[in-house]
Amino acid sequence: MSYKPTLTRTWWLKHRFFMLYMLREGTVLPLVFLLCSLSAGAFALQSVEQFASWQRFMANPWVVAIHTVALIAALYHAFTFFKLFPRVMPIRVGTKLVPPAIMVVGQWLAVVAVITVFLWLFVFSGAAHGIVAGPGGGV
Amino acid sequence: MAANKGMQQALVRVKRYLPEEQQKTQSEPFWQEFTVPFDESTSVLDALNFIKEELDPSLSFRWSCRMAICGSCGFMLNGIPKLGCKEFLRNYSVRTSPAQKNTATNTSITASLTVEPLAHFTVERDLIVNMDEFLIHLEAVKPYLIAETSTQKQLQPSLQTPAQLAKYKQFANCINCGLCYSACPQFCLNPEFLGPAAIALAQRYNLDSRDTGKAVRMPMLNSHNGVWSCTFVGFCSDVCPKQVDPAAAVNQGKVESAKSMLIQMFKGSTAHEL
Ligand code: SF4
Ligand code: FES
Repeated sequence: MSYKPTLTRTWWLKHRFFMLYMLREGTVLPLVFLLCSLSAGAFALQSVEQFASWQRFMANPWVVAIHTVALIAALYHAFTFFKLFPRVMPIRVGTKLVPPAIMVVGQWLAVVAVITVFLWLFVFSGAAHGIVAGPGGGV
Repeated sequence: MAANKGMQQALVRVKRYLPEEQQKTQSEPFWQEFTVPFDESTSVLDALNFIKEELDPSLSFRWSCRMAICGSCGFMLNGIPKLGCKEFLRNYSVRTSPAQKNTATNTSITASLTVEPLAHFTVERDLIVNMDEFLIHLEAVKPYLIAETSTQKQLQPSLQTPAQLAKYKQFANCINCGLCYSACPQFCLNPEFLGPAAIALAQRYNLDSRDTGKAVRMPMLNSHNGVWSCTFVGFCSDVCPKQVDPAAAVNQGKVESAKSMLIQMFKGSTAHEL
């Protein structure tokens, strides 16, 4: 005779580690919403009225709030991902491991670089052309 | 260990299960409380041995080395998988409330913890779990050097540089305690999942410069019950007493698996080669 306990529905509430894991996995929800909003925007390009109504939808305080949550969620997910990355793709120089901290910093620097490029493309160069989203010099 | 003066008292709650008594009463596993004297050097395993020797000889649990190397004394301590011999009662101190006062000896309880059998395994008796599932998974990944078989080669020494050793050394430190399986919700949901230690072991041999068995192991890692069952909860690495970091091994395995599947796609072959 023997017994085997099963996983309860609340297993993830039993330890901080599991809660943080669920939070990481939960970041997908606001991101799915963002994806839907953006897809709706692409469809709304069909006519001027549709695009105007889509713009009104995007300006709705609730939508802005959810998108803000999506931004925070994306940053949190990136934070967890960057921390795990050196363990999944360890880089060795001889017998020495490249310190994970350096790899984490490197990844954040890459994020800053990408944001800078896009800011330059869409905001500064766009503003120079007097439009919101400009072609940005064809990089 | 005799109860000396100057020793503190710990309340140890143990999850018991006595199948032979069950037949009579049809009862479930039950909790039993013991008061155990302890000092700075009392491990949880010492406490269990005290219970068995002085309080209740019917308590069953596994142990051997008392120095965190045999891997047999895994228990859930306050719900977290740990080695009983590596954990000390001093780390489970509590503030005494009047209810916890031991009326018999008029001493206060200064530590308290719960001890349960390792989670996600079948419990045979008290703190003894059936490790068969775990051992079958370990065996499944062919955890031995698969090397060239020509006699000529066999007679040569197998040289390895420190850099080649460094690649897999961490994954070779596993003591097969199974704590990582008790930390893994995916293993609980799907006991067919190879699991952290087995995949770490597969990685250990795949990364070994003397081994040529990767092609034999990859189909197993590529399968549904291989690396892709893992959602990188990562708790396995947190509880590992030997810093093996099995979660890293599993996710390195995902990279390898993706590579091997891509190569297959381009080759259009069914052979799992790399
Ligand atoms: S990987 Fe760590 S936790 Fe898992 S069996 Fe090996 S030593 Fe134990
Ligand atoms: S008794 Fe050997 S690991 Fe604890």
